Amino acid sequence: MSLTRRDAALSFGALWTTLALPAGARAQASPTLTWTPKALSADQARTLDVVAELIIPATDTPGARAAGVPQFVDRALSDYYDAEDAARFKAGLDRIDSEARTGHGGAFVTLPAATQLALLTRLDTEGVASFRALKELVTIGYFTSEPGATLALRYDPVPGDYRGCVPLKDIGRAWATV
Amino acid sequence: MANLNTRARREHTYDAIVVGSGITGGYAAKELTEKGLKTLVLERGRMVRHIEDYPTAQTPPWEAKYPRGKLPPKELKEHYKVQQRTGYAVTEYSKHFFVKDDENPYTEDKPFDWIRGHHVGGRSLTWGRQTYRHSDLDFEANAKQGIGVDWPIRYADLAPWYDKVERFIGVSGQAEGLPQLPDGVFQPPMEMNCVEVDFKKATEARFPGRKITIGRCAHLTAPTEEQLALGRGKCQNRNLCVRGCPFGAYFSSNAATLVAAERTGNLTIRPGSIVTSLILDPKKKRASGVRVLDETTGQETEFYADVIFLCASALSTAWIMLNSTSAQFPNGFGNGSDQLGRNVMDHHLGVGAQAEVPGYLDMYYSGRRPNGIYIPRFRNLGDPATARSDYIRGFGYQGGAARQNWERGLVGAGLGVDRKAALTQPGPWVVRIGGFGEILPYADNRVTLNHAVKDKYGLPTLTFNVTIRDNEKAMRKDMANAAAEMLEASGYKKIMAGDTGYSPGLGIHEMGTARMGRDPKTSVLNAHNQVHECKNVYVTDGAAMTSGACVNPSLTYMALTARACAHAVDANNRGEL
Repeated sequence: MSLTRRDAALSFGALWTTLALPAGARAQASPTLTWTPKALSADQARTLDVVAELIIPATDTPGARAAGVPQFVDRALSDYYDAEDAARFKAGLDRIDSEARTGHGGAFVTLPAATQLALLTRLDTEGVASFRALKELVTIGYFTSEPGATLALRYDPVPGDYRGCVPLKDIGRAWATV
Repeated sequence: MANLNTRARREHTYDAIVVGSGITGGYAAKELTEKGLKTLVLERGRMVRHIEDYPTAQTPPWEAKYPRGKLPPKELKEHYKVQQRTGYAVTEYSKHFFVKDDENPYTEDKPFDWIRGHHVGGRSLTWGRQTYRHSDLDFEANAKQGIGVDWPIRYADLAPWYDKVERFIGVSGQAEGLPQLPDGVFQPPMEMNCVEVDFKKATEARFPGRKITIGRCAHLTAPTEEQLALGRGKCQNRNLCVRGCPFGAYFSSNAATLVAAERTGNLTIRPGSIVTSLILDPKKKRASGVRVLDETTGQETEFYADVIFLCASALSTAWIMLNSTSAQFPNGFGNGSDQLGRNVMDHHLGVGAQAEVPGYLDMYYSGRRPNGIYIPRFRNLGDPATARSDYIRGFGYQGGAARQNWERGLVGAGLGVDRKAALTQPGPWVVRIGGFGEILPYADNRVTLNHAVKDKYGLPTLTFNVTIRDNEKAMRKDMANAAAEMLEASGYKKIMAGDTGYSPGLGIHEMGTARMGRDPKTSVLNAHNQVHECKNVYVTDGAAMTSGACVNPSLTYMALTARACAHAVDANNRGEL
C-alpha cells in the first residue's frame, strides 16, 4: 500500500491524537458571555454560543460565533418571533442542556467538544424539530452576516454586468445573494 | 366674497387633471405637460422622491432588522393580511411601498388578492417590469369568439404608440419575429445562462413552434441620450428593484415620466389627495373637475380642468366612477351600459414546473440579472397544430435557471465543517417555469360599491366577486403538463409540476372594469379611451382593457395612455371636449 503525502499526514495526525488528549476530548470550563442577551437567559445564551459554533465552525473563514450569530438568534427571538415560537427555541436550548446533564453528567457547555458534537449530531439526525429550527436560524444568521456573506460566500453589492456562463473556478464560492 | 371664490376657483383650475401617479398616471402627466397643458397630478398617497425616498436601496443583508428581512408574523397579521399573500412582496425592505390592509378594507365575497401601494409612483416602483406587446391575436379574439365585446382598436392603431413608449421607457429584449408577440424597440437583450441556453436548445428542437427567449423587461441596457439626460443609468444587475433603483435603471414614474413632466414646468403634483368623485356639469354633459379629500387635514376641496384622466388603477378608477353618482348617472359615472365594475380580469398564475438539471457543475454566472426567460404563447394561435379543444386563448411562461444557494441547507441533516464547506459552494442547477394565463372577461366577475363597510375616511369600499371558470381551470392543467413535458424532454430530473393555487388578484394585473368598446350600450369607453357619455374624461389604466391577453399589461396601458393624451390635446384644441 502506497501512501500519498496527504494520507501520511492524516495517519500521523491520527497517531498524534492517541498520544496527547486532543482538545475535543477534554471537559471545558463554562465560557463567559461577551454580550448581554435580550430574549435568552444567560445559561441559554451560553449554550447557544457553543451550539452555533458547532453548527457552523470556524475554518478558513470565521465561524458562527465570530459572525455574531448567537446575538442574531437572540435578537430574532426578541424582535421577530412571537412569544410562543420564541419559547420553542428556548425550550430547544434547554433540552440540549438537560440531555447533556442526564446523558453526560454536566452542563452542555462543559462537555468535551466531541461529546457536544455527538449530542447535536444525534438530535440533528433524529430530526428533532426544535434543533432543526435552531440550526435553520443559525444558518440564516451566519450566511447573512457580514463575515458569512463576504468571506464564506461571495458578495457583490453592485455587479454592474451580468455574465450568464462563467467558470465556477473564476468565482470560487457561491454568491451570497440572489 | 365673490372675488375670493373666483380667485380660489382660478387657483384650483388646471388645463388637465390626472388621477393617480403610477405607471399610467405618470405617463399621462408626461404627455400632457409636454404638450403644454398645465397639469395637476392627484395622488392619494405620500410623496416618494426618486432615490432619496428609497431608504433600503443599499441595505446589505447583515443590516436587516429581521432574519432575511422578513416581517415578524405579528406585523404581517396586523397590517399585511392581504399584501403578504404574494409571499414575496412585503418585507422590511419594501413594506413602505405597500398599503396596510387594516387601513384599506374591502370585502371578499370571493377571495381577491388586492396588492397595491399608495404613494407617488404607485406600483411602477414595485412592478415586475416584464414588458410585452399585445398582438392582433389578442385584439381580434373577442370578436372572433363572441366573448365580451370587440376591442374598438387593432394592433395597427397601437403599434406606433408602443414604439414611442418603448423608446422612452427603455425595454431590453430580443426580437423573435413572432406574430403572437410582436417585436418592439429593444435595447440589447440580457444574457441567458448556460442552463437556460441548454433548455432553449432542447425545447426548440423537440417542440416546433415553441420558443424560449430572454425576458423583455423595462431595464436600461444601453441608455439613450434622452434617458441619460433624465438622470437614468444602465442596469447594474443588483436585483433589488422592489426597493427602488438608485440608478434609475428600471422604468418607474419616479425615475422617468414624472421627472420629464416636472422639467416642462407644467406639472403640479399633489400627494395626499384622495379623489372621491368626478364633478359633472349636467348642462354641458362634461366633467368640470374632481372632488378631493385631503388625506391629512380631512378637508374636502375641488379641482377643475378641461381634460381629466383617470389613471388610479383598474379597481380604484372603478371605485371613483361608481362613487360619482348624479341624476344623469345614478349608477355611476358614464355607466349607462352597466359595465362599470364588471369584467374584472387578471392573469392566472401559480402553476408550472421545476426540475433539477444534471451537469454544468463547473459553470456559474456573475451578477444578479433582474429578469428571466420567457416562453411566448404557443397554444390556440389560429392554426390546427396549436389548437386546443379543451380551452380557448392561451398562456406564456416566465422562469429561469439558477444554481441553488446556501438556503438549500435550511432543510435536511448535517452539521459542522463539511456542511459549511458544501454550503459555501453553489448547489445543483434548477430550472423553473410558471405560466401566466389569460382570463376571459365575465360580466359577473365584478366589484360593487359597499356602503356598509366604510374606510377610515368614512368612504364606501369595494366588494369583490371574481372567480376563474372552466376555461381557466382547463388551461391550468395544460400549463402544468406542458411545462413538465418540456423539462422532461430536455432530460432534466426530479421534475415537479403542479398547481399551487391561485386567487384572482394575485397576478397583480387587474383589468377590465371600464372596458373599451364600439357601442355605448355595452362598454364604458370608446376607441380613444373617452367615457362614451362624457368625452372630456379619459380612462387609460387597466380598467380600459377589453380583454386581458396573457402578457404583462403595463406597456399596453402606457401605449393607450400616450395615444389618448394626443387625442385629448387635439380634441381640446378643436373645442370638442
